[in-house]
Amino acid sequence: MQASAVRKMTPEGWLEPPPLPHHYDTVENHQNALRFGMWLFLGTEVLLFAGIFVGYFVFRTYFPEAFEQAGRHLSLFWGTTNTLLLLTSSLTVAMAHYNAEHGKNRNAFWLLTVSILMGAGFLCVKGIEYHDKFVEAALPGKFFHFTEITAPGGPVFYVVYFFSTGLHALHVIVGMSLLTWVAVRCWRKEFSPTYYSPVENAGLYWHLVDLVWIFLYPLLYLV
Amino acid sequence: MASTTTTGGHAHKELGPGRLFLNWAALIVLTLTTFGVSQIKMPVNYHLAAALCISVIKVTLVVLFFMHLWHSEGINRIVFVTSFVFLLVLMFFVMADVGTRFTLSNSRIPPMPRVDQTMMPSGMPPGMGQPPQRRPEGPGQHPGKAGHP
Repeated sequence: MQASAVRKMTPEGWLEPPPLPHHYDTVENHQNALRFGMWLFLGTEVLLFAGIFVGYFVFRTYFPEAFEQAGRHLSLFWGTTNTLLLLTSSLTVAMAHYNAEHGKNRNAFWLLTVSILMGAGFLCVKGIEYHDKFVEAALPGKFFHFTEITAPGGPVFYVVYFFSTGLHALHVIVGMSLLTWVAVRCWRKEFSPTYYSPVENAGLYWHLVDLVWIFLYPLLYLV
Repeated sequence: MASTTTTGGHAHKELGPGRLFLNWAALIVLTLTTFGVSQIKMPVNYHLAAALCISVIKVTLVVLFFMHLWHSEGINRIVFVTSFVFLLVLMFFVMADVGTRFTLSNSRIPPMPRVDQTMMPSGMPPGMGQPPQRRPEGPGQHPGKAGHP
């Protein structure tokens, strides 16, 4: 961050962009490379979650009744609330990207702050749900002592439930950290039409988190 | 802004706040739709199919408009679509395996002894701990000749 300390404020109201790395011909060249790298990473993230989703379908084939019974014991209210929270936070992140790209750093800062708060809200709801599961001992493997699920496979459902939502929650935490980092940089007015890739890429990560939840929500709560 | 006019890239085909808001509204409507559909009484496989279809539509909207893949460079589209193709490859072959398994009835392995179901952790696949449906047809038979049950 030392570089930003010496960068001058332009008349438009944002800091001068950092110098273009010498191996790029144009600014757009650089932006495209950064974006491409992020998409490659997101591709591997899709494959990471692919394993969990395949596990879900395999165990659902083995224990259809347990998955139905256990799904009914998840809170529809909290699940739907979290879906609406994440979708709305995706909107504010997309708006933050738009504002940063137009040099409106303060707008972007506030939009990112709202997104981070919605992410925190998501985690709180997740915490309430986990707490409920611990209280009724609806837990994975040998910790499962939940009497209301009578069909075989209850412990397996909660392995899938805790691992999929847990890995997703970890991604929410990472996403919130990235958004915090770019929000701080927005506050310093670092972004401009020629330099906004950090906001864009942190946003792409956040949208991927949203994307995973779009599949998890119906599979766990609704079906 | 003048510095970006030379690029001719995505910067000028961007989505304004109005479109983003519209996309969000569509996503909310689809969320309520999938919630509503889940309350209808119908077979669970139909529920699964409906939920997956709506999810795919929602994900497409997020990817194309929130993630700007609609007007992104083609290479990014190739990357993301490829990762989904490999997801489907994994899903297809694993599910094809799991969905078509049957008890090996033509092997010489004697049937498994019946296990007291109450003693087992409630996490065994159905059929485990029960004897195979067909007894082995005696020694000397070529394994390949017996038909499927």
